[in-house]
Amino acid sequence: MEEKSLMEDVKTEERSDLFEFAAFDEHESEHIAAPQYSYWKSVWRTFIKNKFTVAVSIVMIILVLFSLIQPMLSGYSPLIAPHVNEPEMRFLQPSAEHIFGTDNLGNEVWDAVWAGARNSIIISFVCTAITMVIGVVVGAIWGFSKKMDKWMLEVYNVVSNVPFLLLAMILSYVLGAGMGSLIFVMCVTEWIFVAFFIRTQVMIIRDREYNLASKCLGTSTWTMIKNNILPYLISVIMTYVSRQIPALISYEVFLSYMGLGLGVTKASLGRMISIYTSYMNGYPHLFWIPVIVLAILSISLYIVGQRLADAADPRTHM
Amino acid sequence: MSNNEDREVILSIKHVDISFDTGNKKKKFVAVKDANFDIYKGETFALVGESGSGKTTLGRAILRINPCSAGEIIFEGKRISGKISREEDRNVVRNIQMIFQDPAASLNERATIEYCVSEGLLNFHLYKDEADRIAKVDKALTDVGLLPEHKSRYPHEFSGGQRQRVGIARAMIMDPKFIVADEPISALDVSIRAQVLNLMNKLKAEKHLTYLFIAHDLSVVRFIADRIAVIHLGEIVEIADSETLFKYPLHPYTVSLLSAVPMPDPIVERTRRHKVYDPSVLDNSGAPRQMYEIRPGHFVYATEKERAQYEEKALAAEQAQGEA
Repeated sequence: MEEKSLMEDVKTEERSDLFEFAAFDEHESEHIAAPQYSYWKSVWRTFIKNKFTVAVSIVMIILVLFSLIQPMLSGYSPLIAPHVNEPEMRFLQPSAEHIFGTDNLGNEVWDAVWAGARNSIIISFVCTAITMVIGVVVGAIWGFSKKMDKWMLEVYNVVSNVPFLLLAMILSYVLGAGMGSLIFVMCVTEWIFVAFFIRTQVMIIRDREYNLASKCLGTSTWTMIKNNILPYLISVIMTYVSRQIPALISYEVFLSYMGLGLGVTKASLGRMISIYTSYMNGYPHLFWIPVIVLAILSISLYIVGQRLADAADPRTHM
Repeated sequence: MSNNEDREVILSIKHVDISFDTGNKKKKFVAVKDANFDIYKGETFALVGESGSGKTTLGRAILRINPCSAGEIIFEGKRISGKISREEDRNVVRNIQMIFQDPAASLNERATIEYCVSEGLLNFHLYKDEADRIAKVDKALTDVGLLPEHKSRYPHEFSGGQRQRVGIARAMIMDPKFIVADEPISALDVSIRAQVLNLMNKLKAEKHLTYLFIAHDLSVVRFIADRIAVIHLGEIVEIADSETLFKYPLHPYTVSLLSAVPMPDPIVERTRRHKVYDPSVLDNSGAPRQMYEIRPGHFVYATEKERAQYEEKALAAEQAQGEA
């Protein structure tokens, strides 16, 4: 009953009393309430959100810094064997005094491992930087230019069919062993694979409508590569880098293992593994220590790179 | 209607063919055949046709994205199709701009609105100093109803209608004379289509623009266009003033196209009869077709034999109009 009387009340009243015209604020309707978006800040926030990623990053940073700093303090060189005439110093088990034990010459494995890791890291970082810069620049132009595509594809076909090991052997005999020549051997063909990969990525987004729009506004090809193409490829390039760094570390170790890498004057994980393989039965820790250090280093670099690549993809920022 | 002669032609398309390679060298895919029309300064010229009829291809040929395989396009008395000098090419870019269909796809997602809008300014260095550039961007954004504070935002933060207005601001900042609007509202919500159309009309009046409006929605075309060209399978079959075309369509394809316009009236919708286009009513003897001016300003693409039929049809329609 009460409800009905209320209805009648409403009916009798003027409608204009019940509703009011709200003011329309055009400025307010266009306003975006969300906070300012910043690309790199969002990348960082996404990256540190995952606890596992942060843990692996810390492991990676410690490993990299340690291998860069420790050899400076120890001054390890494979040419100096201070305990070579002290048989009691050979093949010591890991202990508080000798953290990773000693090897067949009485050298500290601890010092040798970090010196080897340092060389591997330096070589792989330098090679990655060189191949990525050349590869991205060449690949971006390659993807845009149809004329260049024709002959570059032929060059790529030839280069990619040359066996890498054969090339590495010939070049290392010609150039001799050493850090510089090893970097050259590892970069000389590697950049074209990066360039081919980038070329394909560029071709995928080259003909998208926003590039057509840029063309209609008179944007030059180079500006288009810089502002329209490469920002889209950050996460793809990051993924490639995260695979490239550990792959090149393994490459370096592999070449040194084969005797094609660094000479006897430089510490190398690869050569350590190759020498210590013969003591596998009696002193397996000599073999496993450099292998495990290598594995942890590669995997942590790979995981951090992959997570960074994921964070660099704006689709993960929401 | 007949005052078309004394109006200034801004763009004319003469016997334009556009074809694409199919991989088979002998067989080319012809997207546009023998297109002929003039666009007068200050009008909105609409190009309507079904999907795949070649309307976008023709629009892009004007912007020099698709090359013409025959014929020529004249803009302000100068040929802009085929090989032209770099300077002339830049002149075309400055004066002819495009509004794209999909506002989500046509903006660079990794650039701020400031960069998107000032891209043309940067390319042609159309500003005195940084402050002048910012002022111009602010003005362009305000002109399309956006706020200067949007400059630091990214395209994905905007709604579809706002993004399309960014696209319009980007074209307008170049101070073009001619704009190719390639289905500018078909990717938008129905609720904001009118907003964008009204904005386009407002800018046209303020900046004395000429539009080539490409669309497939006839009700929109009727609202915005002064003259309409109907394109079917790459051939422009009929050109007329909007009112004339809607009242007296001559070509059978136009007739069936108009009969398919939905009406927001259930009673009319229930009783109406759709006319299905039947190409067999045309003169299929293989006689050459060309544009004939059946009535002043009303062109139909026909053979000699069809022309006589259209003349009769136009006459009959005029008589019926007279009696009524």
